[in-house]
Amino acid sequence: MKKTLKALITIAAVLSAICVSIPASAIPSRPSPARLVNDLAGVFTPGQAEELERVLVAFDDSTSNQIAVVTVRDLEGYEASEYATRIGLGWGVGSERFDNGVVILVKPKDTSAGKVFIATGYGLEGAIPDAYAKRIINEVMIPHFKGEDYYMGVAEACKVLMQLASGEISELREDEFDEDDAGAIAAAILIVLILIFVIIIVAGSGGGSSGTGSGSHRGGRTIYTGPIITSGRNYGGWGSSSGGFGGGFGGFGGFGGGSFGGGGAGGSW
Amino acid sequence: MKKGLTVLLIVAAVVAGLFLWVKGAYNGMVTADENVQSAWAQVENVYQRRADLIPNLVATVKGYAQHESQTLENVVSARAKATQMTIDPADLSEEAIARFSEAQGELSSALGRLLLIQENYPDLKANQNFSELQAQLEGTENRIATERMKFNETAKAYNTLIRKFPDNIIASMFGFEKKGYFEAQAGAETAPKVEF
Repeated sequence: MKKTLKALITIAAVLSAICVSIPASAIPSRPSPARLVNDLAGVFTPGQAEELERVLVAFDDSTSNQIAVVTVRDLEGYEASEYATRIGLGWGVGSERFDNGVVILVKPKDTSAGKVFIATGYGLEGAIPDAYAKRIINEVMIPHFKGEDYYMGVAEACKVLMQLASGEISELREDEFDEDDAGAIAAAILIVLILIFVIIIVAGSGGGSSGTGSGSHRGGRTIYTGPIITSGRNYGGWGSSSGGFGGGFGGFGGFGGGSFGGGGAGGSW
Repeated sequence: MKKGLTVLLIVAAVVAGLFLWVKGAYNGMVTADENVQSAWAQVENVYQRRADLIPNLVATVKGYAQHESQTLENVVSARAKATQMTIDPADLSEEAIARFSEAQGELSSALGRLLLIQENYPDLKANQNFSELQAQLEGTENRIATERMKFNETAKAYNTLIRKFPDNIIASMFGFEKKGYFEAQAGAETAPKVEF
């Protein structure tokens, strides 16, 4: 009996060891909180990364196209194309509706050759054909990369990519959030208003039972409910516009679940 | 009398539960099967995309390298063989996929040899049209790799679904067959190395 138990424990230990030893996917996991600029190789200064992030988030907000920049020291044995595509798929860069994500992968040159790949989501394969991506890499990125200026290379490439992408898909990101937020805020305001209304009625009827001042109280109630309702509507309007602002202010809203089919181009130097 | 009613109710509940289980499992399998078939359609799409590039590529190379007729012929015949190889999407068995993969693999290696000859023909190498075609071919190979990966993932989800107990009973009852995977073949399936 004891022997069987011991055997069982051994088996369990071996099994769990096997489970643990299975290597996790080598692709970096989705950043949390979500960021568009992921400088894992440390080639940007903090100021540069912030500036790039700001520009890309603004672009995401205004057109819904997401450009993710990832730099890594090691491609873990993958081809740059596969690595970039797997990041795009794994993180879900771009929106689910348009598949309008772009992943710019840079592996800086050290002892091995530098590698760069621009992966385009399904929805942007038309706006950014492979040949264009190739040209951006050869004419914009690699010349800067050769001079060790990774920021300029990436920033200039983003500029061109943004022009190309916005020609294809240009949807205000706020639109989606606006309606939801506005709805939620309007509902909350409505509930508060109803509560106030109920309280006033309860207070009013309480006042009514207390004799002499009842007439004036009732008068007060009918006069005051009107303005409260109209001012409530005004608040509703305010609520929806501030909801829209909230969407724009809160930084990057997260990846949308876009899909990639292996489109794009790469280069090395 | 009352006992009979209880028994009846229990039987009815069991039948209803059984029905709901079969319905849920069956419909789940149908959805998974559809996913596999659409992933397969994508795989065929990208292979077709590659096949469509080849006539142009062959014509371009012909203009510069007349002496390589054997290499060119190999590509043309491998392409013909690969495009003839169509698979019924309802039967994506291990063997069917292996057959498909083999035909496409032959085309891949023929293409690889074709691209190698550019080293002997500097004019061809410098040709703008040729390098554009090469870039397109490279993009297509990336797409093929991606769609194969996606197909394998979808097929794995399906296979897991139909093989798990107790749903495997329903799968065998309604004839849901295990789907094959794309195997990484040694050498034959590696994309032709295109250096720029």
